[in-house]
Amino acid sequence: MTEVTITTLPAAPLHVFEIWGNAASVAKRFKAATGFALPATGRSGGNDALRLIRFEPTVWLVEGDISALGDVLADDGALTAISGGVVHMRLSGPGWRTLLMEGGVFDAESPAFAAGCSAATIIDHVNVRLHVVSDDACDAYVPLSFSQGLRHFWKQAAGILAG
Amino acid sequence: MMLIPCPHCGPRAQSEFIYERTVDSVVPLDAPSQEAMTKLFTRNNPRGVDDEIWRHTYGCRAWMILTRHRVTNEISGCRAIGPEALP
Amino acid sequence: MITFSFDGKAYTAQEGDTLAAALLRNGIGLVGRSFKYHRPRGIMTAGVEEPNALVTVGEGGRAEPNTRATDVFVYDGLVARSQNRWPNLSFDVGSVLGLAAPALSAGFYYKTFFGSAKKWMFYEYFIRKAAGLGNAPTQADPDRFSHRAAFCDVLVVGAGPAGLQAALDAAEAGKRVILVEQDNILGASLIRDPQELDAAWIEATAARIRGAGGRILTRTTASGYWEHDLVTLTQRLSEPGQTPANGVAQRLWHVRAGQVILANGSIERPMAFAHNDRPGVMLSQALRSYVRRFGVVPGKRLVIATNNDDAYKTAQALKDAGAQIVAILDARPAPAGANSGHRVYNDAVPLSTKGARHCLKSVSALVDGKTMEWDADLLAVSGGFTPVVHLHMQAGGTLDWNEDAQAFIPASSRQNVTTIGGAADPQPIFKMVPVSSPNKSFIDFQNDVTLADVDLAWAEGYRSVEHLKRYTTLGMATDQGKLSNMAALGRLAEKQGVAIPEAGLTTFRPPYTPVTMGLIAGAGAKDAGAHVRRLALYDLHAAKNPIWQPLGYWFRPRAYPINGESLAQAALREAKAVRNNVGMTDVSTLAKFEVSGPDAAAFLEIICATTVSQLAVGRGRYTFMLREDGFVFDDGTVWRLDENRYLLTSSTGGADRMATHISYVRQYLCPHLRVSAVNVQEHYAGIAIAGPTAKAVLATLIGEEPPRHMSTVPAVIAGIPVIILAASYSGERAFEIYITASDAATVWAACEGQVMKVGGALYGLEAMEFLRIEKGHLVVGGEVDGRMTPHDLALDKMLNKAGGYIGASGLARPALSEAGRRQLVGLEALEGDIPEGSMLIPSEGASPQGHVSAAAFRIIEGGSVALGQLVDGFSRHGEILIASSPTRGQKARVRVVAPHFYDSAGERYRD
Repeated sequence: MTEVTITTLPAAPLHVFEIWGNAASVAKRFKAATGFALPATGRSGGNDALRLIRFEPTVWLVEGDISALGDVLADDGALTAISGGVVHMRLSGPGWRTLLMEGGVFDAESPAFAAGCSAATIIDHVNVRLHVVSDDACDAYVPLSFSQGLRHFWKQAAGILAG
Repeated sequence: MMLIPCPHCGPRAQSEFIYERTVDSVVPLDAPSQEAMTKLFTRNNPRGVDDEIWRHTYGCRAWMILTRHRVTNEISGCRAIGPEALP
Repeated sequence: MITFSFDGKAYTAQEGDTLAAALLRNGIGLVGRSFKYHRPRGIMTAGVEEPNALVTVGEGGRAEPNTRATDVFVYDGLVARSQNRWPNLSFDVGSVLGLAAPALSAGFYYKTFFGSAKKWMFYEYFIRKAAGLGNAPTQADPDRFSHRAAFCDVLVVGAGPAGLQAALDAAEAGKRVILVEQDNILGASLIRDPQELDAAWIEATAARIRGAGGRILTRTTASGYWEHDLVTLTQRLSEPGQTPANGVAQRLWHVRAGQVILANGSIERPMAFAHNDRPGVMLSQALRSYVRRFGVVPGKRLVIATNNDDAYKTAQALKDAGAQIVAILDARPAPAGANSGHRVYNDAVPLSTKGARHCLKSVSALVDGKTMEWDADLLAVSGGFTPVVHLHMQAGGTLDWNEDAQAFIPASSRQNVTTIGGAADPQPIFKMVPVSSPNKSFIDFQNDVTLADVDLAWAEGYRSVEHLKRYTTLGMATDQGKLSNMAALGRLAEKQGVAIPEAGLTTFRPPYTPVTMGLIAGAGAKDAGAHVRRLALYDLHAAKNPIWQPLGYWFRPRAYPINGESLAQAALREAKAVRNNVGMTDVSTLAKFEVSGPDAAAFLEIICATTVSQLAVGRGRYTFMLREDGFVFDDGTVWRLDENRYLLTSSTGGADRMATHISYVRQYLCPHLRVSAVNVQEHYAGIAIAGPTAKAVLATLIGEEPPRHMSTVPAVIAGIPVIILAASYSGERAFEIYITASDAATVWAACEGQVMKVGGALYGLEAMEFLRIEKGHLVVGGEVDGRMTPHDLALDKMLNKAGGYIGASGLARPALSEAGRRQLVGLEALEGDIPEGSMLIPSEGASPQGHVSAAAFRIIEGGSVALGQLVDGFSRHGEILIASSPTRGQKARVRVVAPHFYDSAGERYRD
């Protein structure tokens, strides 16, 4: 019996924060402006008001209020809104790691993939960005057009785990 | 399915990646016509080690150069390509 | 009590029985008919290597043909049927074929293929009726299949004594361990030989492995070894034909292991002698398993033929169970070891068997040069042991020859795999040569290949083992030669006069045992193979019950019929609404990229073959992109939203390709540029409003003057911020409205309200196609088919004169501007309808000079028009050609014209 619940979170602002140059200076300005460091690849950082999740070498996903970030980037990067194309889902319950192994290729069962970790991978043909929010829950950022199909796939798979 | 050592994400399944082309077939932006066509259509295709361009499309989306033995699939190196990035 | 049925008759079985054990328990020795000769066959083994006892298990969509009776565990209600017999198992008409055995000898198929076609067709009819395995089920499989990934430090294959110990050691050393066993219980050889390590040890060891975090999977076969230590496991969650507890019949595991330990043991070999395929002839270890594991003793008078010590354990097991050991025929010239107390003949090699009513009656052998015969109803044979090296070889391994065991054992590997236990160290045997007549001496039982067939192949000049295999079909059955390959190699080596390792080996291909197709499909076996991509506005469209059209992975409305309209009627009504009044459509699937930064324009002038940097803020233009070889591969529009921010659109079908291309150019070719190019295809939903009243409709919606053609402004509709692009694909004054997808429904509803208020219509892809063809606009994948240059499409005047774009140097090749290239033309029918996809010919029988890429009709006036590609088409306006589609039996006479049938001056775009 492995339980996992799949919920879709309400639409909220989501931005791409990309640095194209002077990365060290941007990192310094960022720390000064927000009080926390830009997270490393495969990690998230921040708080409920502003959270950055890094999936790519030069790109961070930003949740929350971006008003301070324009000045941080200045001429060294850009912010682009992407919230419309992404569905934010939450897999909660002790079974989330097992569920992610269904149709997957990424080691979500590794204890090293712990709260504050992020990874982008492919699950049942769909590109998914994962962010572990706690021992008991993992968030998934799914392309809008595939979200219905993946939700269906996960519900079926979760039913198998529960059975 | 190979295991590709992404310089940013660590070892990941091949199905997260797409193959682009070999390094020797990259056409520089300013290549004259003759050179561009040679790059595109006259390639080495060795039975052995070659440098290949792959992209971690369904992972970190970054590009990399993979040194792979085309018979044994042994991967002897993988280095990141692209703009300078923070660690 | 478990009940099951075989060929319609009910029987009982005991808990834990395989079907084979249960059949033997019920005294059933005849289980199937052989593939070619329909010879009666029984149960020969107790494992997955079983070549004879193939049955169909289950009913309806759950029926599984060719299931080995030794590899299915009986459950209550199991239904099994024998195969390849008619009218029934004990009386089979096809077995008369056995009388004509030479007619189906080695190479029969090849020889018949190379004979006259008539002869082949004559034989084929009978062969198809006579030869074969079980029938594939005709109904859909009702069960589901799962794919699951797993990662571990150590994967151990096989839960015999070696495998259990290896898994325990690794797990207790703190490693992530997976132990797999194809049987439904652990122990493997310990189950039949529990003297040293018994069931209690197995249980305790398993408990310790689990306690240390190890995962044990039973009923799970490591079926394939792939690159970089990826091993696929096929796990049966329910037995063949059984209704699965939670809907999932099987699971395919993809296990990425740090290290793989193969402890998969050996397979006992049969011996080659005449009539060695009769029911009642069994492998020695298998017989011991039936006695010790299942408590089934399938005979009273046993003869054993062996070339090794192991078979003596079988004699002991049968003696303990009360059977009479008639004789042990030991091929070794002198007694080995202590006196076993049985009647042992040395230098004894079996010659033949006799039977009656599908039972064994007697066994004859050559003992010390003399023929002897014994009455017996059971013959256990042990011809040695073949280590299971399949996974090791799939991993790219090499083999060593072990002379004592007359067997190949695993040597080196380029992957991180080691073999332990019996497979690494097989028992020594005495090398024996068959002395019996080769005619009925079967080596491949499943494909009915005898020693005589190998001899024939040799006589006809087949020297390589690979040729021998294909010529005789040896090793090509569902058991993939698990029992037969070594016997054939031995015979071939004997013929060649070389040692076995010099005779060569065939390839060990995955899967190790047969795999259900549904398992490979996984979840895709039930739904679509890949997910359908759903529009942000799907619910709104679905409520109107449109005709849907697949477009790549997308489904888009093709037309919105009302009052019982046909597709053509609906599309024409929708297109007329656009021409006369206003229509709206969903264009959300277009590729979209937001390109920001000081170098954004410079970057776009590398991607696009047109200029970009001259655009003023708030303006846009048509653009197209070339491949590196100079051919057009996509087109779209580019808009300057802000000083350093652009929006690039391109075709739906090319969206993923364009995303990769943009990323390649940005990251690989231009890492120095100060630019961010973000794929916003799904961020923005898109609504197009087109028609002579579109401007008025939009003005009402946004409360201000809409932008002029090819301009863009930010605006607000129903309180939602939007981007308006004034662009036209239809040929009318038109606007595209881009909205954050999560807010799109509100904006769509507001637009629809206004469009309907003025008597407009929704339109789908079909009407869009009519409109764009009439206007002469291109479609990627249609007119832009990867073979057309900008010149061929009359786009060359738009090329960026400064060059520097991708494809500029490729386009400079002289051949791309020579005469004789196909060029874009319009076509209008002189009568009838122009068939889409037809070829353009000057006269009947002439060679094609082009083709029709898209056909439609004039929306208001009527009359068939089309776009096409024609050799030197630009200079042939006015010519009359035939658009001919012989495959559809359609043709029309057409006049070549300019590819614009509507408002060629573009006056309707402008206010």
